[in-house]
Amino acid sequence: MLRIVSSVSRPTSTGLLGKVAVTTHTPHNGRRSFSSTSSRGADITLTVDGKEVTVPQGSALIQACEAAGATIPRFCYHDRLAIAGNCRMCLVEVERSPKPVASCAMPAMPGSKVFTNTPLVHEAREGVMEFLLANHPLDCPICDQGGECDLQDQSMRYGSDRARFHEITGKRAVENKDLGPLVKTSMNRCIQCTRCVRFANEVAGVEELGTTGRGNDMQIGTYVAKTMDSELSGNVVDLCPVGALTSKPYAYHARPWELKNTESIDVMDAVGSNIRIDSRGVEVMRIQPKTNDDVNEEWISDKTRYAYDGLKFQRLTTPLIKRGDRFVSATWEDALAAIADGLAASGAKDDEIQGVVGHLTDAESIVALKDLINRLGSDNLALDQPGGNAAPVHGVEKADAILLIGTNPRHEAAVLNSRIRKSWLHTGLEVGLVGERADTTYGYDFIGEDAKALSNFIAGKGPFVEKFKNAKRPLIIVGSALAEHPDGKAMYNDLAKFVEKNKDKLVTPEWNGFSILQRVASRPAAYELGFPKFIYLLNADEVDPKSIPQDAFVVYQGHHGDLGAQLADVCLPGVAYTEKGVTWVNTEGRAQLGRAAVSSPGASREDWKIIRYVFSWPIYRWGPLPYDDILEVRDRLWDISPTLVRYDVTEPTSQEIAIAGLKTLATQTGGAKVAGTPLRNLSQTSTKLILYQERESVTMAQCTRAFVKGENYGFTAFA
Amino acid sequence: MSFAKAFSPALREIRIIFSQTGPASAGTRQFIVSKYPDIKKHNPDLPVLIREATGTPARAFARFARGVEQHVELENLSAPEVEAKVAELISS
Repeated sequence: MLRIVSSVSRPTSTGLLGKVAVTTHTPHNGRRSFSSTSSRGADITLTVDGKEVTVPQGSALIQACEAAGATIPRFCYHDRLAIAGNCRMCLVEVERSPKPVASCAMPAMPGSKVFTNTPLVHEAREGVMEFLLANHPLDCPICDQGGECDLQDQSMRYGSDRARFHEITGKRAVENKDLGPLVKTSMNRCIQCTRCVRFANEVAGVEELGTTGRGNDMQIGTYVAKTMDSELSGNVVDLCPVGALTSKPYAYHARPWELKNTESIDVMDAVGSNIRIDSRGVEVMRIQPKTNDDVNEEWISDKTRYAYDGLKFQRLTTPLIKRGDRFVSATWEDALAAIADGLAASGAKDDEIQGVVGHLTDAESIVALKDLINRLGSDNLALDQPGGNAAPVHGVEKADAILLIGTNPRHEAAVLNSRIRKSWLHTGLEVGLVGERADTTYGYDFIGEDAKALSNFIAGKGPFVEKFKNAKRPLIIVGSALAEHPDGKAMYNDLAKFVEKNKDKLVTPEWNGFSILQRVASRPAAYELGFPKFIYLLNADEVDPKSIPQDAFVVYQGHHGDLGAQLADVCLPGVAYTEKGVTWVNTEGRAQLGRAAVSSPGASREDWKIIRYVFSWPIYRWGPLPYDDILEVRDRLWDISPTLVRYDVTEPTSQEIAIAGLKTLATQTGGAKVAGTPLRNLSQTSTKLILYQERESVTMAQCTRAFVKGENYGFTAFA
Repeated sequence: MSFAKAFSPALREIRIIFSQTGPASAGTRQFIVSKYPDIKKHNPDLPVLIREATGTPARAFARFARGVEQHVELENLSAPEVEAKVAELISS
C-alpha cells in the first residue's frame, strides 16, 4: 500500500525549503494537459451483471460497476485518493478468473463479463466482513460514528447473521494516538483502510502519518508521537469509514439522525468552500464539507470545520446603547432613535459620514450600506484594511507555473493550497515565491522576500525566470498582504508592467494569469461593489481605534461583541453566516448562495434589513432604501454587477479590458518609492487572520496552543 | 464631449456593465478599451466600475450626489454612439 502512495509523492517540501531555487525535476515541455485530471483515453465496453457499460480506458473496475448502477461495498477505495486495495470488501466475480477480484485495484478490461450479485460474491463479502469484525470492538452504542458508520451499514447489508468469534484471548487492543485537539482517535476500531494515511500524504502534505507493523500488528500512527499539524486534518474524520477517527469537539454531542442538514457557504476564508451545516434546534452542532469540484472538491479547512463553536459565545442579542462607560440593552426603536439623534448631534455631513465593512459581511448588506451611505451624501466607504485591486484566483489546476507573491496559501486558503499541491504532485507544476519562506506542502523556488527581489525577477534575473517564461499557462497569485505593504504600490507597478509585457501568455482570451488571493469572505464582494464623523461599522472589528475620532458617533452592527463593538455608541445585533441566506463571493469571483441553518438569537435581524430600517424614519427627508425584500436587494445587485447574481459560475474578464485596467494600474502606481521592507506572511499566529468568531472559539484557541505554540494542551486524558 | 478632462464633482461613480463576448456589447467594449485609461488619468479618484457577465445587456450607470442614479442602455450601439450616450449621461 505504501509503495503506491510513495510513487505519487514528489520530494517533501521541507527538504527543499532550505535551498534557494532547486530544480525539483526535469521540466517536461509541451506535454502538459489543459487540466490536471488525467487525459481521457479511448472508451472501452464491458458487461456488468448482463448490462453493457462504456467507461474511459484506465478506469477501475469499481468505477465501471458504479457506472452500470451496481453498488459495490468498499472501505479503502476513495475517488480522490490513490488506490490501496487492502480492505478486500469490493470483491466481484469476473468471468474466467479463478478467484474473486478486488474491483478497486483491477483495471476495467474491454469485453470482460463482471458479476456483482452472485453467491460467490456474497460469500466473499461475508467472509471479508467476518475478518474485519473479528478485531472490531462491539462499542457501537458509545461510538460517535454510530448512524453514519460504513462498517455498521455494510455489516448489516453484506455481513453474516451470526458470529463465530470465540477467542479466549479477546480482541486486538491498540493504544490510542494523540493527534491534537481536533481529531479524536480510538484505534481499536481501526480496520486499516489507510484512507487517512493516503489523505495526509497526498492531499494534506503531512508525511508523518503512516503505518507500522504488519498483519495483526499493523497500526496507523506517526511512529514518534506527534500531533497531526495540518490545516486540513479534520477531513480524516470524514474519510474514516469507522469510528477510529472522530471529531474531538463534537464528541458525544449529537447523533446524525437528530441533525438537520443545511447546505451553505463557508466564510472563514475567501475560498467560499461549500459546507453542510448540521444543526439541532437552534444550535449548530458541526460543519461538514459539501462536494463541489469547482471550489473545494470535498475538503474543508479546519478553521471552516471547527470555528463554529465561536457562534455560541459573546453574541449580540439585543440592541445596546452606551450610557456613560457601559452598554445598556434597549429596544430597536430606542436604538434607532439614538442613532438618529447621534447623527444629528454629530453634525456630520457628506464625507464625514463613513461606512466601514468588516470581514464577515455578505454582498446584500454591503450593497445596502453602500446605498445608505451614498444617500446620506457621502462616498466615504472603506474596508477595515487598506485596499487593493481585485482579480480573482482561478484555474490553479490548469497552471503550469505559479508565482506566489506575499502569500502563504496554506494558511490563507487551505483548500486552494491542496489544489496547488495536487497539481504539483501530478503535473510537474513549478512554483516560485516572493515573500516570507514557509512550509507550503510543496516545493518552490525561493526568489526573495522584498520588492527588490521581485524587480530582479521581472528584469529577468534569477533561476525561476526561465521556468516561468517556458510555462504555457503561467499564473501569478498576489497575496492581499501586498496591498497593505508599504512597497505595495511599487510592486503592483512592476507587476502591471510585467503582465502587460508578457500579455501574449498571461492575459489571453482563455487564460488570465494575474490574480489576487483574497483571504476574507466579504472582500471580493466589497471590491466588486466599489467601496472606497459618523461611522457605521458593519461587522468591522479590525478597525484601528486610533483612527476613530473621540467625538465621532459610532454605530456597530454585527453578531459578536468584539473589538468593533467596544468602540460603538450604539450596537445593533446582526446575524452570523449560519443564520442568514445571502450571497457570498469567493476569491475567484464566484457568487454563491448561503442558506440559513438556524434561527438568529434574541432580537437580532438580518443585516441588510437592519440597514434598510435604520434610516427609514420619516424624519429623514430621503425616505427608505428602495427595497423591501431580499429579491429586490438582488435586483439592485444586478444593477451594480450582474456577476453577483450569477450563482456558482465564474465570469471571465475579457483580455482587452484586463489590459486596459493594468495599464491604468501601471500609470497610477508609477513612481512609487521602494522602502525595501521584506514581505511578511499573515501567518497562523497573526491576529489578522483570527476573525472575531474564531477569537470566541474554544476549539480554535486549543489549536493555537497545540500547533502554533506547541504546548501540550493536556487533551490526552479525554482521548 | 471629450473624456480627457476632470468630470463634475457631482458625479460620484460610473458603472459600465456589459457582456464579454456578446455582439450587442461590442461597441461598449471598444469604448472602454479606448477611453478608460483617459478617464482614469484625469479622474484618478472617481470609481469607474467595469463589470462583465456573459449575455448581460450593455448598460451604463452614473451615480450623483445623495445616491441619485441615472442609467442608459448601450445595447447594440457602436463605439461613437456609446461615447455620445455616456457623455450625455455623465453631464445630465
